[in-house]
Amino acid sequence: MTETCCCGIQVGQTVPDFKLETFEPTKGDFGEISLEALKKNKKWTILFFYPAAFTFV
Amino acid sequence: MGAEVITVSADTKFVQLAWKLDEKMLKDVKYPMGSDPTGKIARMFGVYDENSGLSLRGTFIINPQGQLLNAEVNFYNMGRNIDELMRKFKANLHLSKHTAEGCPAKWKEEGDKTLKPSPKMVGKVFEAYEGK
Repeated sequence: MTETCCCGIQVGQTVPDFKLETFEPTKGDFGEISLEALKKNKKWTILFFYPAAFTFV
Repeated sequence: MGAEVITVSADTKFVQLAWKLDEKMLKDVKYPMGSDPTGKIARMFGVYDENSGLSLRGTFIINPQGQLLNAEVNFYNMGRNIDELMRKFKANLHLSKHTAEGCPAKWKEEGDKTLKPSPKMVGKVFEAYEGK
């Protein structure tokens, strides 16, 4: 079992479950996403951080 | 593709909605846009900039078991290459099914040469890669 960590996770470690409020462009509505639910659905997760809206990606 | 891409910033979901509607470059964006106003998730991944309150351009691939497999962080002034992200994702998918293999730097897609590390390969990576 890999070690779980609270901050500055390293590659190879297990990511603690987290939740995010979202805007869902496909639905035009707000929603919520959780790592727990994604794992339950056997999904890979790609997190793509950017500094702020209205900046380039 | 079996992966959920989630974009994350410190903006509220309301700002993200406004940006999505306003910016023509985002017209084809279908990914959920995650809101991390406290920076909690950004801190978790080590991309929170305490001085600016913004997050650095970090990309992270997590497998269905919740294990972090890739981390890439760019400073504010450099964009990311989606082809490279796709390469990493495809390589992870391959490796998850072929656990004894390794994907070398030039691996691009399914069918490309992989390596199986073994004592015989030590000092002979070139030969293994060239199939000699």
